[in-house]
Amino acid sequence: MSTQRKPIVNWIIFFTTIVVVFFLGLLASSITERRSEEPVALKPQVKIAQFDPRNDVWGKNYPTQHESWAKTEESDFKSKYNGNAMIDMLEVDPRLVVMWAGYGFSKDYNQGRGHIYAIEDIRNTLRTGGPTDDNDGPMPSTCWTCKSPDVPRIMNEEGVSEYYTGKWARLGAEIVNPIGCADCHNNETMELQISRPALVEAFERQGKDVANATHNEMRSLVCAQCHVEYYFDKNRPGSEGSAYLTFPWDNGTKVEEMESYYDAKNFKDWTHKLSKAPMLKAQHPGYEVFSMGIHGERGVSCADCHMPYMTEGGRKYTDHHIQSPLDNIENSCMVCHKEKTETLVKNVYDRQDKIIENRDELEKLCVRLHVEAKTAWDLGATEDQMKDILMDIRHAQWRWDYAAASHGGSFHAPVEISRVIATGINIAQEGRIKLARLLMTLGYSGEVPYPDISTKAKAQEFIGMPIEKLIKEKEEFKKNLMPKWDKEAQERESKMTTTYVNK
Amino acid sequence: MSNILKAILPPPGWQFTVAIVAGVLFGLAVYVLYISNAVSYLSDDPKTCINCHVMNHEYASWFHSSHREQASCNDCHVPHDNIFNTYFFKAKDGLRHATVFTLRQEPQVIRIKEEGAKVVQNNCIRCHNELITDRKMLSSTKTFDHFRTEGRQCWECHREVPHGRLNSLSAAPDALIPETKNPIPEWIKNMVK
Repeated sequence: MSTQRKPIVNWIIFFTTIVVVFFLGLLASSITERRSEEPVALKPQVKIAQFDPRNDVWGKNYPTQHESWAKTEESDFKSKYNGNAMIDMLEVDPRLVVMWAGYGFSKDYNQGRGHIYAIEDIRNTLRTGGPTDDNDGPMPSTCWTCKSPDVPRIMNEEGVSEYYTGKWARLGAEIVNPIGCADCHNNETMELQISRPALVEAFERQGKDVANATHNEMRSLVCAQCHVEYYFDKNRPGSEGSAYLTFPWDNGTKVEEMESYYDAKNFKDWTHKLSKAPMLKAQHPGYEVFSMGIHGERGVSCADCHMPYMTEGGRKYTDHHIQSPLDNIENSCMVCHKEKTETLVKNVYDRQDKIIENRDELEKLCVRLHVEAKTAWDLGATEDQMKDILMDIRHAQWRWDYAAASHGGSFHAPVEISRVIATGINIAQEGRIKLARLLMTLGYSGEVPYPDISTKAKAQEFIGMPIEKLIKEKEEFKKNLMPKWDKEAQERESKMTTTYVNK
Repeated sequence: MSNILKAILPPPGWQFTVAIVAGVLFGLAVYVLYISNAVSYLSDDPKTCINCHVMNHEYASWFHSSHREQASCNDCHVPHDNIFNTYFFKAKDGLRHATVFTLRQEPQVIRIKEEGAKVVQNNCIRCHNELITDRKMLSSTKTFDHFRTEGRQCWECHREVPHGRLNSLSAAPDALIPETKNPIPEWIKNMVK
């Protein structure tokens, strides 16, 4: 073997060594870097003022949480029935149009998107109409209550009853930051806190004090400020003239208990356009239904699955990308459950499939009830003859809505939701027997035909909704009033100060 | 022998450069071995498994379990059928972990792979054989081992053994775990003071 190598070989050895050393150096620095991750502590950048609604100001101190919150912008996940993508639910299920005839939801109802879209989506929905000025439009200012951390700010400035008074458009320029930090957190300690009065008041009326809640309970109660059944009380003593946001929990939170509360108050959300029944609209009793399910009973909190704990670089934080756990099974379900992803997904879908099978039946019965009741009215039925039937319609559809609107209900508490739907089907059929007898008395024989409501457009035409007019009004609003709101808000916020620490 | 030496040694004009480069190379290699606590990987000390702080929860839950007095991580998580297989498996698993950690690919919820699960199952049987074997039946039936290794696994019922029911990097954030030793020796610290 010769000791004289060709020069080229030496060069190759030389440069290869350089490359190897370089990467070894990178490896070493990476190890050093990761070793230093553990002792990183919070270094506040700004002093956050009370009622500061600007999420990006809070985000300066809590960048990890803020970044994950900003991911609620993602809108591309569809599970079998829901997800975070916008779905036109009236198109998917045109029966809803008939069931909500005479009420805002028959105009427009979409699968909700992430918290970051709260302001955009409430401005866009046809339900809030096309106001032309502060005192115009179909909805009260109360509709903003769950949409923004600007709300506690305004409540503090105006007073609670005063905030609940007036039209939705009155606060358009004030409420501009989407659901965020100040809705759930104390500005100084970052502890979870309740920022909306309705939950505190509901607890008080039941003789309970929210202040006694444990941290684990708070991880659900901050969600329960909004994800609950509520109504607007227009006769609240001392707050007459306002649409006072109230939870109907005085008798309990089961479907019958809230129903008895509403019945005793003779409250109705609206009068049905076809059947003239005094209807209840279930909002979204998510917290109530969750509490009745196995996870709720075992003390699992909303945040445990919808905002699982994460560890990054040795630091634990809560994932503020609030979303369906179905989009995050590996980090949520699997913390406790050892089954495979597919198995867990199947378990959820099985429950949803089976419950929705019966829920669809109840839906069809509700449509029939409204149409048959209208036929009875048209044939000259009296109020007295219709009284019981209308209450059956109210109670049957309330049960359907309680099950349908408590998004996730068929997973959160499948046994309870099945029971609710079963009682709903029974009440609906009882009502239809009474209607059949009445129709016979009125001289009608045979089946009242089921309307052709195979598409959203057909269904809206069936109930006589001027959808084009509504869309036009909304477009005018977006062209004229909305830019004014944004300009005013921008001017106001530009005057807000941010206090930097150590600067 | 001298021929081999001649083949390795660089030509006279290059010896200086090569010595420097080789020195850098070896020096860095030693540094990496030292800073990554590499020698500890040859031991059975469970502290080794939290060198990178990813397995803190597993360490903490084991530390508070009955297994602490009897079994270390390696007693359950590497095979003990023969010494070659023991070290082969340990090296293979360790390198995979090192790769995942360096690439920052560690999942929030660490789940055992099928291969690892088989090893653990066999180790359950290795120590608890007396509990799951009916000696009276041994002459007339096969060993029960295969019933225990196929299908069901011990921890499907003994769910809390030994790591508890929660499994996440965040499951035990405040666990008291031995601190990673500071790699900088005291005398250097004193020197730069």
